[in-house]
Amino acid sequence: MSLLQVSHLSIFTSQEPRVLVNDVSFEINQGEAVGLVGESGSGKTLSALSILGLLPRGVEATHGEINFEGRSLRKIDAESMRKIRGNEIAMIYQDPMTALNPVMKLGDQLMEVIESHPEVGELTIERVREVLRDVGIPDIARAINSYPHEFSGGMRQRIVIAMALLLSPKLLIADEPTTALDVTIQQQILALVAEERQKRKLSMLWITHDLGVVANLVDRLHVMYAGRIVESGTVKEIFENPQHPYTQGLLTSLPSPRGSSRARLSSIPGVPEKPWMVGTSCAFAPRCAFATDKCRQELPKLSGNTAHKVACFYPLGVNS
Amino acid sequence: MTLRISAVEKRYEIAASNATVHALNGIDITLEPGKTLGIVGESGCGKSTLARLIVGLESPSVGSINWNGKDVENLSRNSLRTHQSAIQLVFQDPYSSLNPRQRIGESIVEVLTVHKLRHGSEIEARVDELLSLVGLATDLKSRYPHQLSGGQRQRVSICRALAAEPQLLVLDEPVSALDVSVRAEVMNLLIDLREKLGLTYIFISHDLAMINYISDYIAVMYLGKIVEFGTWHQVANHPRHPYTEALLRAMPDHTVIGNPESLKKTISGEVPNPINLPSGCPFHLRCPIATPQCTVEVQNLINIDNGHAVACMEVSR
Repeated sequence: MSLLQVSHLSIFTSQEPRVLVNDVSFEINQGEAVGLVGESGSGKTLSALSILGLLPRGVEATHGEINFEGRSLRKIDAESMRKIRGNEIAMIYQDPMTALNPVMKLGDQLMEVIESHPEVGELTIERVREVLRDVGIPDIARAINSYPHEFSGGMRQRIVIAMALLLSPKLLIADEPTTALDVTIQQQILALVAEERQKRKLSMLWITHDLGVVANLVDRLHVMYAGRIVESGTVKEIFENPQHPYTQGLLTSLPSPRGSSRARLSSIPGVPEKPWMVGTSCAFAPRCAFATDKCRQELPKLSGNTAHKVACFYPLGVNS
Repeated sequence: MTLRISAVEKRYEIAASNATVHALNGIDITLEPGKTLGIVGESGCGKSTLARLIVGLESPSVGSINWNGKDVENLSRNSLRTHQSAIQLVFQDPYSSLNPRQRIGESIVEVLTVHKLRHGSEIEARVDELLSLVGLATDLKSRYPHQLSGGQRQRVSICRALAAEPQLLVLDEPVSALDVSVRAEVMNLLIDLREKLGLTYIFISHDLAMINYISDYIAVMYLGKIVEFGTWHQVANHPRHPYTEALLRAMPDHTVIGNPESLKKTISGEVPNPINLPSGCPFHLRCPIATPQCTVEVQNLINIDNGHAVACMEVSR
């Protein structure tokens, strides 16, 4: 069953309208983890922020629908959205300090989350202790009397995860929460999230630029390029049988940490196009080795079956 | 043109709290010309401090850094300039290492004039030559850094480093700030330049995959010490130190999918504070195979196989 459904979402800047996210559709089923992968400027973060109505000033979702359990999140009033945020859909960010109040003790901050959602019923500081224990914070009695700066980056990200799990949300949106962390700490956090997800049957939207991070974390993923989804499918399909030249280029341009061959990395020439500069053509055409005049004049539509869709006139590994 | 780092330690005193940060705790490296040494480690392991010492921006507290038979610390002002021209540093973020109000061409001319490498009419031609060497169009000369893409800016940084005609390039996380799709291009450029100009590299990164791709030798650092050293093949494919093994298993790898093992945590805990170094082996607090002896005794690098060295008494036992 579909928990969240985003259909034909477009996001524009308000002044001199420039498109940033263009006709993006995806859904997240109950208990499913979905990855949104792309480089900076591809629109992955804006797509996620728009779900919770958190787009920055000067940027607007102008078209499309966002449905969460049958409710339209684009049409509901601010008060109802406030009840959903943190309670039914929680979000964690790259920099935990953006989510933590630097001058408030941890215990008070977590209690504040509970108090601002009276609709969830009676929860006490015992609940705070419980989630902090779940995410692996040592010495909880001392932790709840400490300020955010007294923790390391990894511990702060654990705290933010605890805060997100506090009210047992149905959907967790994670925007590159491990990008700023060291690899051994990143792996601890990924292990924690995978475990909590299993335990709580949590649905998840994971945003990242790192294909290696989502390779074993999510069930399905969408690859974004210049504001559009260019390929989507199961992890197995995307990694073993990439059909979009961009996805394939990304996968073959990354070395493996265990690699024993010194084969030259294939590289993608040029730089990503700005979404508003693309017009009606394939945004990847200027960098694509297989592009034809058709690619430079027409927009390829995302098509295929549920297991694998691609927006390319000449998908790789497919006989036309 | 050999670089010899002997028993180097670097400490920083914090006057306010009367504490000492132990950034480097005994580093020995010998690097032959034409080779690439990859230095991998997590934040705070001392890898960037080491880079600053090698180019002579700072001096070691103990030990010596020797380039081409000369001690870097005792160089006169003039010979230090020659040294810094022979050893160039490329930083992670090209945006912060380029002057935002200086045109690309001017920033390269500056290097040529400071080091008195070209004069008069030769300068213009040399700038063009350098730009095409790093794969940039010569009409970029009149642009400002903000008008370039991240990949182009990093090429400019590399170009400025090459303008000084160095023998050794110290590359400190040169591709980490770049978009994924442009990293391979810059890596391949570095490999081509190494071949064409016969350069020696020290490539510093937290990314074992990039290190593995470019290095002849790999040194793994933890809390200011090298815990494992060997050829890239020895270290990346046959790691022996428990920290290297953990680091390798923690590295996201897009070539391994559907492997639930990769989501099991490899080591718990965090890197200890370099102000209060743990006794004994610096890794013993997080080590899965630590014994009581590891808490008191420090093990230096021991050769276990044909140049492959590990600082672990359990492994070398």
